[in-house]
Amino acid sequence: MSRPHTPAHTADPGEPAPRRAAARHGAPADRGTPAGRGTLASRGPLAGHSTLAGHSTPASHSALARRSVLGLGLGAGSALALSACARPDTDPAEGGSPLTGGVLVYFDPQAWQTLYPPQVGFYPNGGIMNNIADRLLWQDPSTLELHPWIAESLPQINDDATAFTFRLRPGVTHSDGSPLDAANVKRNMDLYGLGDDKRQLPPSEQISNYVSGEVLDSRTVRFRFSAPSPGFAQAVSVMNAGLLSNATLTRDSQGFGPGSADRIIASGPFVVESEELGTRLRLRARTDYDWAPPHLPHQGRPYLDGVEIIVGTEYSVRVGALVSGQADAIRQVDAPDEARLTERGLRIVAAATNGVTNSIAMRFPHPLLSDQRVREALIAAVDRKRILTKLFTDNYPLATGILAHSAQGYKRFDGAWRHDPAQAGRLLDAAGWARDGGATRVKDGAALALRVNDALPQPRSKEVMTLVQEDLAKVGIALSINPGDMATQDADALSLERIQLYHSMVGRADFDVIKSQFAGTRRNALLNYDADTKKYRDPQLEKLLDRVSSEPQEAGRRGASWAVQDRLVDRALVLPLFEEPQVYGFRRRVRGFACEAVGRPAFYDTWLADAGERAQNGGPRR
Amino acid sequence: MSRTRPPALSWRYALNRVGQALLVLAIAFTLASVLLAILPGDAIMARYANPELALSPDQIEAIRVQSGADRGWFAQYLTTLAGFLTGDFGYSVASGAAVSDLFAAAVPATLALAAVGLAAAVLAAVAIALLATFGRQRWLRAVFDAVPSLFISVPAFWLGIVLIQVFSFQLGWVSVVDPSPAEALVLPALTLMVPLSAPLAQVLIRSIDEVRAQPFVRVTRAKGASDGWLLIHAIARNAALPALTMAGLTFGELVGGAVVTETVFGRTGIGQLTSQAVANRDNPVLLAVVVVSTAAFVLVNLAIDLLYPVIDVRLRTSPGDRGAPGNQGGHSLRAASGQADAPATAPADRQEAGA
Repeated sequence: MSRPHTPAHTADPGEPAPRRAAARHGAPADRGTPAGRGTLASRGPLAGHSTLAGHSTPASHSALARRSVLGLGLGAGSALALSACARPDTDPAEGGSPLTGGVLVYFDPQAWQTLYPPQVGFYPNGGIMNNIADRLLWQDPSTLELHPWIAESLPQINDDATAFTFRLRPGVTHSDGSPLDAANVKRNMDLYGLGDDKRQLPPSEQISNYVSGEVLDSRTVRFRFSAPSPGFAQAVSVMNAGLLSNATLTRDSQGFGPGSADRIIASGPFVVESEELGTRLRLRARTDYDWAPPHLPHQGRPYLDGVEIIVGTEYSVRVGALVSGQADAIRQVDAPDEARLTERGLRIVAAATNGVTNSIAMRFPHPLLSDQRVREALIAAVDRKRILTKLFTDNYPLATGILAHSAQGYKRFDGAWRHDPAQAGRLLDAAGWARDGGATRVKDGAALALRVNDALPQPRSKEVMTLVQEDLAKVGIALSINPGDMATQDADALSLERIQLYHSMVGRADFDVIKSQFAGTRRNALLNYDADTKKYRDPQLEKLLDRVSSEPQEAGRRGASWAVQDRLVDRALVLPLFEEPQVYGFRRRVRGFACEAVGRPAFYDTWLADAGERAQNGGPRR
Repeated sequence: MSRTRPPALSWRYALNRVGQALLVLAIAFTLASVLLAILPGDAIMARYANPELALSPDQIEAIRVQSGADRGWFAQYLTTLAGFLTGDFGYSVASGAAVSDLFAAAVPATLALAAVGLAAAVLAAVAIALLATFGRQRWLRAVFDAVPSLFISVPAFWLGIVLIQVFSFQLGWVSVVDPSPAEALVLPALTLMVPLSAPLAQVLIRSIDEVRAQPFVRVTRAKGASDGWLLIHAIARNAALPALTMAGLTFGELVGGAVVTETVFGRTGIGQLTSQAVANRDNPVLLAVVVVSTAAFVLVNLAIDLLYPVIDVRLRTSPGDRGAPGNQGGHSLRAASGQADAPATAPADRQEAGA
């Protein structure tokens, strides 16, 4: 659990030494192991925690208040410097058995946009959908294995994976009282598999080749596909296939948007109680909930009475709310703040996203990148370890493959992305790019100048790219970072002229994830598919990607995924940087927090250590 | 109040003002449409080309056709214009919610914030101006004379963050999670107050200084009037005009200030709606924001123009005397001050300086 960097704590130089040492234990002890990622279960006592609670005497508090006034005058731009002076969280961090009751206050950086399940990949959407809707199957976030949920057993699948038969658990109801039966499931999948252009509802990207559903009896339903679709079993376990009531399924795109949240009816452990447009949303526990995944030890109603989801666009406000105890949990803690939060006694949970690593796709159709030697030079020029040590923490492991090590289809590539600037120079010389005295290499009068997108959803993309820029400049490649907001970046990313290096990642706990990233009809990260000519620049790559989703058996899919990865590595098309987590910050009173397989919060198992006390005080605590 | 009622407005004047207002609205709407069309990416792209969805270009194109976003700019402009004329603001492209619903939720919150912020700003400006001009000690006057420059230089987002950190996170006086309505207003209103009060206070200070230097003030004082009487009866009235004009103009500041304030404090409102709509290229929402805030701006300034004669007796002219009835407040002020029946022409000059 050693950290590569010393936790700097500028605002509080006279900190007693013991707490600093203890802060390193503030994060879950099991963070490093794949099985433990994403869960904050009570797992063994952390020695020394409660004994270090004696810091918040009234005397030290007033000293802290004085320091906060000083901080104001000196440089209050650093909001954390101010909030660093708040009372540290000294609640016991572990132990006890789950208590029922209490409302969890959770800050999300963005407002949700839609609750149409195929479109809930956006974090704030998924954070809601994952808690209000059940699915046919449940995917264990640590092993990625599928288990029964609304389906009482795993589906029967025919040999070529074109027909899936599910037997449903009896007695499940939506919160409006309507039954979750075979006809209802069929209506859900018909919409998610086919979409409805008239209502501007696109199909789910996870469901391919869907033909139709068929109700065999009230508890049995079969789905047919025009081509092998082995990914379907996993696809019905994700929040993009959340099961909604019949009435909800008749809504159009507008009807799934903000303002309608409390009319999105499903069968999950929580229901949307109310929303304030763009600022907050309340989830209320369903006390008659009795169909949790049988695999979970916890059954029946959720422990929490509710969750208050508050949109806090301003980062310093989110962190300040957590540090001051007004918030119980926040999504997205920036890497530089992790150490400071753990020093305050708060806990950091890094949830794995189990997909394509945070990486740079080199768009080979562009003339400057069509020469493999140039792409290899780019790879050799970039010092990935420097990026990680300068900008990130242990929660961001160096990528060892195209996929994260916990993803399905992961293949390890040792030495594929070695840092060797001298080699980069030799490769560029060989490719005919000469330095001619200038800073940027030229060939036939053209400069070796590329542009990369600023991946706003990815952590510190701009800082990462600034370091890449430095590395590339050393070998004579000019890199510019595309300016603009989210909509501009998304629009530019589709154009080879605007963006030649594409920085992105995808989380999805299935073999198909690699297809989601690189296939021409999906994200098309390499721009392998030319939308104008409707042709593939590398048809072989697309063929390999197709195999990933059409091989009926798991071994075949793994082999297909490996073949894609081999090709991407052999042709030097991708430079993976790190495995991207979703990082949450918590007060210590929050227990049992877990995420689903791509890092969206699941509050079903979450409970509050002081739920009883709070119930007496009435309502959410101040 | 019959004694101070302004003269009946001539029909021509009223029509003229309404015509001007409509013209301003039309220009604002058109300019906004053009600028939004020039921005890279549109709402369909922002919503559906989001890599999280991984829709194919063909699927996106189908949605574009279905939603009518594939038509040319002008065709869409006409459709939207027709909608606005019939009171139909359309639907947000980003979320699908009806723009009128979004506004119904946002407008009251912003109005409350703006009203409290503006009222606080006026009070603060008066207090600052009085202390800077009537302060007992020279140093006190000097300090408060410098306050407007300080206030105008404080970035609103920074101030908001500092206020939240100190009063909510440090002192715990105000909750950001579960605030009472008053709690929810106080810090944002303070944040809004500071930049709003600065120009008001500055104009008031200068006006008071100048009015005090007028001969009539000396005459009145010689007749035995006290400082307080002078302030209320002679100086305040004369100094209020430029400040009122300023208050009308700062309404624009209110809209801009609301964007920052509501974002930092996570409040529902027009400002927060605007910032999200910009990020999502949500043109229907943005156009509605432009039109509604322009309309409000025009109305507020019209109201202020009509208030001038109530405050300043010199501006009360019978319709017959009125040289140019169609003029805006500023002009009529200038036109009227030539035939003023009370002290000097100073307010009119300052009016120009203030504006």
